[in-house]
Amino acid sequence: MDDQGCPRCKTTKYRNPSLKLMVNVCGHTLCENCCDTPLRKSNFRVQLFEDPTVDKEVEIRKKVLKIYNKRDFDFSSLREYNDYLEQVEDIVYNLTNNLDVENTKLKMEQYQREHRDLIQKNKATLTREQEELEELLLLEQQGNEQRRLDVLQDEQRQLQAKRKNKQALLDELEQSQLPATILLAQHKVRAAQLETQIEQQKQTVKPTNLFSTGIHMRQTVSLVAVPKVEDVLFHYKPLHVETYGPPVPELEQLSRVGYLNHVRAAMPQDTAGGYTSALACHRAIQDAFSGLFPLKG
Amino acid sequence: MKINIEGLLVYFPYDYIYPEQYSYMLELKRTLDAKGHGVLEMPSGTGKTISLLSLIVAYQKAFPLEVTKLIYCSRTVPEIEKVVEELRKLMEFYSKETGESNNFLALALSSRKNLCIHPEVSALRFGKEVDGKCHSLTASYIRAQRHSNADLPACSFYEEFDAVGRQVPLPAGVYNLDDLKDFGRRKGWCPYYLARYSILHANIVVYSYHYLLDPKIADLVSKELSKKSIVVFDEAHNIDNVCIDSMSVNITRRTLDNCHKNVDTLQNTIQKIKETDTAKLKEEYRRLVEGLKEANVARETDVYLANPVLPDEILREAVPGTIRTAEHFVGFLRRFLEYLKSRLRVQHVVQESAPQFLKDIFDKVCIDRKPLRFCAERLQSLLRTLEIADIADFSAVTLISNFATLVSTYSQGFTIIIEPFEDRTPTIANPVLHFSCMDPSIAIKPVFQRFQSVIITSGTLSPLDIYPRILDFRPVTVASFTMTLARTCLCPLIVGRGNDQVALSSKFETREDFAVIRNYGNLLLEMSAIVPDGIVAFFTSYVYMENIVAAWYEQGILENIQRNKLIFIETQDAAETSMALEKYQEACENGRGAILLSVARGKVSEGIDFVHHFGRAVIMFGVPYVYTQSRILKARLEYLRDQFQIRENDFLTFDAMRHAAQCVGRAIRGKTDYGLMIFADKRYARADKRGKLPRWIQEHISDGSLNLTVDETVHLSKHFLRQMAQPFRQEDQLGLSLLTLEQLQSEEMLQKIAQIAHQT
Repeated sequence: MDDQGCPRCKTTKYRNPSLKLMVNVCGHTLCENCCDTPLRKSNFRVQLFEDPTVDKEVEIRKKVLKIYNKRDFDFSSLREYNDYLEQVEDIVYNLTNNLDVENTKLKMEQYQREHRDLIQKNKATLTREQEELEELLLLEQQGNEQRRLDVLQDEQRQLQAKRKNKQALLDELEQSQLPATILLAQHKVRAAQLETQIEQQKQTVKPTNLFSTGIHMRQTVSLVAVPKVEDVLFHYKPLHVETYGPPVPELEQLSRVGYLNHVRAAMPQDTAGGYTSALACHRAIQDAFSGLFPLKG
Repeated sequence: MKINIEGLLVYFPYDYIYPEQYSYMLELKRTLDAKGHGVLEMPSGTGKTISLLSLIVAYQKAFPLEVTKLIYCSRTVPEIEKVVEELRKLMEFYSKETGESNNFLALALSSRKNLCIHPEVSALRFGKEVDGKCHSLTASYIRAQRHSNADLPACSFYEEFDAVGRQVPLPAGVYNLDDLKDFGRRKGWCPYYLARYSILHANIVVYSYHYLLDPKIADLVSKELSKKSIVVFDEAHNIDNVCIDSMSVNITRRTLDNCHKNVDTLQNTIQKIKETDTAKLKEEYRRLVEGLKEANVARETDVYLANPVLPDEILREAVPGTIRTAEHFVGFLRRFLEYLKSRLRVQHVVQESAPQFLKDIFDKVCIDRKPLRFCAERLQSLLRTLEIADIADFSAVTLISNFATLVSTYSQGFTIIIEPFEDRTPTIANPVLHFSCMDPSIAIKPVFQRFQSVIITSGTLSPLDIYPRILDFRPVTVASFTMTLARTCLCPLIVGRGNDQVALSSKFETREDFAVIRNYGNLLLEMSAIVPDGIVAFFTSYVYMENIVAAWYEQGILENIQRNKLIFIETQDAAETSMALEKYQEACENGRGAILLSVARGKVSEGIDFVHHFGRAVIMFGVPYVYTQSRILKARLEYLRDQFQIRENDFLTFDAMRHAAQCVGRAIRGKTDYGLMIFADKRYARADKRGKLPRWIQEHISDGSLNLTVDETVHLSKHFLRQMAQPFRQEDQLGLSLLTLEQLQSEEMLQKIAQIAHQT
């Protein structure tokens, strides 16, 4: 009977005579205390790491991070964000090491209730760092693809050019009056030139998934609402200037009243810039009329 | 002699000077005047080092405010010692000429292993052990603990240095490693820390490349070196590989297992400290919340050399909340580790870019990019806080954290290759994750940015224009100097055919061809009969050498060769090789003559000189192309093509030719030396290969020596050797390739010299 013991907490029948062993469907025994945690088939995972505690921690961490998914832009300062991160670490640490589990879980639930909206919103957005990473990966992919295409195109172009060259030689041999040796020599020179041309022809094709501003087409723009500025709306009031003088006639009325007769008419060249003689006249009258009455009161 | 170089008075410690040395100094001065970088190629054995030193020292003396320091980087300890000896000669000359005592401080710096004088620590064999042991005696918190507990072991040398060594600067003079050790013993100070402290105010520092290029070491040693320094990289033809190696990370199962142990230790230590001294962890936490501002301020005010592993963004921000506390960080490391382990469990080769890796790691273990980026810095902080004595043990986790930071920082220039087994042994599972740097400019960029002049120089830098391209900098001078010779003392010959007209080549298709192997054997046999003393033969790889030597043995060629000379072989074992080398030299010395069979890119081809009778002929069997099927190389070639528009073939040929030039250059180490350079492969005759050899070799390849048979080679060699055997006196050189001061100042000679520098 010595070998009867719980594989988890290592208690044996010898040490604890009242030990009760339970057997699950898979046939593995566990003692009464340990089998409190309900096992479900869907909860079993492939063990990724050598150290099962790390497996457990990662699992818990993923769960916690689903709830605690605030991003750095949700905080006003880096210090607060770092404090928050540390708090999250504490929760994960407690849960993995079975410290104060009840309280921690309660705290999590409470947090979840309070921040439901934020959690939902942040689910869709990536952190800035991940965004950067995605972008880098994308660039890398594009680079690879571009390079592959370039090489392919190059090869195609070279093949075509060579074929054309050969055909040209055949044609010339058929039609030309020159001796064949000269033609062959010419062909050789041309072929060499072609080679050097091909070397130089490294066309640079710009990537097509950039907007003209340099922003990536697929870049996710962070979805934070533009902050609303709550202020009183501006209300326009016409300007009123106290001149202490008789009212100045309107600009349009000047010619009718006859003021303009006493001013030099605008030359055609002056009018090009939008000048009219009324402008100067109006200004002069304003000057003349202001300050004629004594101060009121 | 005292020379006037464009208005600068240069003391040159010899009575005679080579014209190319004068020309070299001229170019160097122009580079320094422009406060720019330069690429200079000058053949080995023409006094590159002394020209560099005399000019820069003169420049420093003339403009003490413009240039405060010379940082001379060399590759090996013997080379460093050689430089210091030249420097000593120069300084003695100065004090003799000027009559005043010297106020220059010049010193060499090397690892603890070469400098330690502690009786126990210095007895350890490996550098890593010495470092670890030293650290466990001298780390600041260990010494703090000693205040309360005096029984702890201590290093008296360090204590003494720490107590008084910093108050008085090292007296002026020239110190090589032994001098430093002597000085340390006399004073009872630690020479290593003394040297490290003294490089800050020394006028000349001589040390290894890694102190500037390897970000981990540079951060410790060279961070505070003055901006107004001149940096010289000598023997720099391999500098791109050094840069790449210093930024690449290879991770195996072993690394991960060690790392696992490290993480466990970390966790236990944290637990322990938590029970005894929570204040310490809290203090660290507070510091991390504040961010790494101090380092940022230092970098912005230009005090520090930038560290490519520690990118600027990190310094501006605080450590992210996910890894702020020690436990969370350990959990983070654990997850990262498990992820890497799962990645290493692959069945086929995977190659991916850094962004792909980051996306995958987020999907699998929810690790964001940002905490990864801070990983290296965070670990350093934790190790400091936990006061872990033996840092050497934590190399695995440090490596992993560096990897984390690098992979999340650089989205370009790196690639990740996971291979489940080695190509040669496809049945043995040995998964390796290569995080390989493809862009050498990343590691060297801080150096170019920080220092006002960086000089890259070597005997073989051709083609010159490729270095600025792959290292991504703009030099103000690019020049190649030829060797002026009174007699043609080098004789490059390209052997393309055997006596039976079989084309000689090491190319893949004919590698197993018996006719080629036999002809190679004949070539060596014939040469061994006519060349006096030593012959060095280079093969393209160890495997190829083994095959050929085995075939020669079967065909009886080896036996015939051994009638003429003894045969020694370089192996992958360093101790065996140095033994072979020693015996080879002995055989040359006592007149028996010997042949050394070695491998291009091996130890012999890079660092060993075969002066005079140690190498009268070098035979290069085949073109030493790098192993082209390696995935890392393929990725690098692709990157070079896309980023720098360097075609694969160009780079491969360039790389092969620089190694071939290195090999054959081993024989000529001066103007009185002479030697045959035999290139045994018909591909060397092609213009694209030949054009990539250094100019000083190219000049001597005539059309008549292009596609020779073995017989013709023997004939030409005999002729050459007979010519060289004639007595050669210094007077023959004078006025042509060796100048006195008067000759140097003649108008005609100055004109000639102007033509030596070949600008590109």
